[in-house]
Amino acid sequence: MADNKTCDRKPAPTLGEALAERGISRRSFLKFASYTASIMALPPAAATAMAEGLAAARRQSVIWLSFQECTGCTESFTRAKAPSIEDLIFDFISLDYHHTLQNASGHAAELAREQAMEENKGEYLVIVDGSVPLKDDGVYSTIAGMTNLQMLRDTVRDAKAVISVGSCAAFGGIPGANPNPTGAVAIDQIITDKPVINLPGCPPIPEVMTGTVAYLLSFAGIPELDALGRPRAFFGEAIHDRCYRRPFYEKGLFAKGFDDEGARQGWCLYEVGCKGPVTYNACATLKWNGGVSFPIQSGHGCLGCSEPGFWDLGGFYKPLSTGKDGVLKYAAGAAVAGAAIGAASAYSVRAKRKKIMGNATQAVATPSGKEDD
Amino acid sequence: MSGATCRGDRPTGMAYSVLAEIGRLLEALAGSGASGAIDLRSLPLTEADRTQLHELLGPGEVSAELEAGGRSTVRETAYPGVWWVTHRGAGDKVASEEIAVCPVPSILAAHPADIAVAARRIRQTLDESIPGQAEAS
Amino acid sequence: MELLEFARGPALTFALTVFIAGVAFRVAVILFMWRTKDSSVGRAREKPAFLAALQEIGRRMWPLSPYRQRTLFNLINGYVFHIGLAIIVFLLLPHILFLQDLTGLYWGHLPNNVIYAISIVTLISLIAALVMRLGNPAQRIISTFDDYASWFVTFLPVLTGIVATTHLGARYETLLALHILSVALLLIYLPFGKLMHFFLVFVTRSQTGAHLNHRGAQ
Repeated sequence: MADNKTCDRKPAPTLGEALAERGISRRSFLKFASYTASIMALPPAAATAMAEGLAAARRQSVIWLSFQECTGCTESFTRAKAPSIEDLIFDFISLDYHHTLQNASGHAAELAREQAMEENKGEYLVIVDGSVPLKDDGVYSTIAGMTNLQMLRDTVRDAKAVISVGSCAAFGGIPGANPNPTGAVAIDQIITDKPVINLPGCPPIPEVMTGTVAYLLSFAGIPELDALGRPRAFFGEAIHDRCYRRPFYEKGLFAKGFDDEGARQGWCLYEVGCKGPVTYNACATLKWNGGVSFPIQSGHGCLGCSEPGFWDLGGFYKPLSTGKDGVLKYAAGAAVAGAAIGAASAYSVRAKRKKIMGNATQAVATPSGKEDD
Repeated sequence: MSGATCRGDRPTGMAYSVLAEIGRLLEALAGSGASGAIDLRSLPLTEADRTQLHELLGPGEVSAELEAGGRSTVRETAYPGVWWVTHRGAGDKVASEEIAVCPVPSILAAHPADIAVAARRIRQTLDESIPGQAEAS
Repeated sequence: MELLEFARGPALTFALTVFIAGVAFRVAVILFMWRTKDSSVGRAREKPAFLAALQEIGRRMWPLSPYRQRTLFNLINGYVFHIGLAIIVFLLLPHILFLQDLTGLYWGHLPNNVIYAISIVTLISLIAALVMRLGNPAQRIISTFDDYASWFVTFLPVLTGIVATTHLGARYETLLALHILSVALLLIYLPFGKLMHFFLVFVTRSQTGAHLNHRGAQ
């Protein structure tokens, strides 16, 4: 970014002005807004307000922090490509810091981050992917000599809001899965004084990420969130409730494997472990790769990747109605113990009886001369 | 492509429900001038439903093509005031689709900000191409 | 999701452990208690003991008149909810998968909608059984905690199962968790009350049959 620390620098142009310079008309804004309003289940009339809001906004400074992550979320974000109107998001934001996408490296990169924070104090957005380890003072993930914990706290200080992208940042994800050796936690466990929006998914659908950022820009506010901090527009419905294979579930037609008759007919995947009924995401409606398909349509059950702890739900291929692995681990011991206690208590009663009746049996003989047991 | 639909070759009757909603919006437009729109992407329409709706609405007098971040088409249906708007992105893939009930969809009209910018540009072009004109204005 | 994980994990583990230990305990007590030896002479027309035992299980399925007439409603109502429960538990696919996970066995299933209808009937039938018990003064006097508790731990899984299927009231994962927890409660209570009849009825009927057969009852 050019040096603009002069006292009387002109205010940055609005997005409308900046894009008009490049020959992008307000029509593109309206088209982008129509698309975003549609995928966020906003009424079509909201598109006009959204377009106006976007055009009046200034280019949003975004600092993207990557912690314990696999870069899948960044890959997903940069695949929000299907319609070229989606490319507009990269005009609407100024990605001032991003490990994978930025040109700078080393100290220069960290300097860019600090500069962006200073110049946009109170106005920049922090997007985080990856969880933060807490064990042993957070040494298990460091960047430029700073632990993730330090960098997160430092960067979020003057931010407007934080978006936790991906299940690792939103809920702890893979690093946080059993046995969680690094003490990985979600971002909202650390940041409690700024608004945090969770966009889980492994990875999240690209349109979920760009739609949320666009909403923030257009309406200068946070969309309605559910109890887990996820935008209701994308995470308000379970996969099961919008799944096109639902009629097969109701009729009791299930695939029993991945290549049997049921699988080929496209029947419900409950039996091969689909977690659709307990997973909330937009996969069944928005789908992936620009609306091409989603796991169930491709024949694999939902993994539940937008839910907390989905790695520890008890196996991707274990149906929802089964117990987790190891429910019977005490069964043998229990049977032996129960039987032993039962036998012991029976024998103690028998002994007591014999003691009481011991004398009597001699007095009362049975007809055949044989005694009771 | 529409969202969560049962894949189907048979119309489910949704087209008539949508038509009924269009009717209500059109009456409101005729009465109070209030515009409305129906987002087709959010509805569980099968391909057959979409085709049926298309047939029910029929073609109108106006057809417009836009190139703004991808191709968009705005077509008036046989019912004046009812427009079928399709926005496409890269690869001509449908990004969003709606039925707009209004005198003319707002995306067709030039935006005041764009008009202001255009006025400046014409002024610039004139200034550059006709020397001496700059001092006179 | 945490409640569901608890229900499918620690809760079920504990419940199954207590259930197996409890059933083993009850059966062991019965087997190891003394038996009074019957030294009487067998009567004429005595069938093999094993055969008589099995026959008695069948014979007691349907009472003799006049007992039958006097208890007809309770008898039929009882069969309705017993058969209903059996169909729900053994012919609904998610339940079959649950049992497959525990035992390795697998069999065919009925459509969810059919089971849903049957479960409504079962629910009403269970409520009717309770109403009959409460409405009859003699039954009310002799009813114990075990009678009501056994009814409750049987009723709750049917109710929570229906509520979960219809996605009524709360998010599905909560409803499913509550259903699994209600089954855990049933498993924990079962060995210690009259619900043990699920297994013991076969033991007691066969013993009675063998004994009476030896005594010459026809």
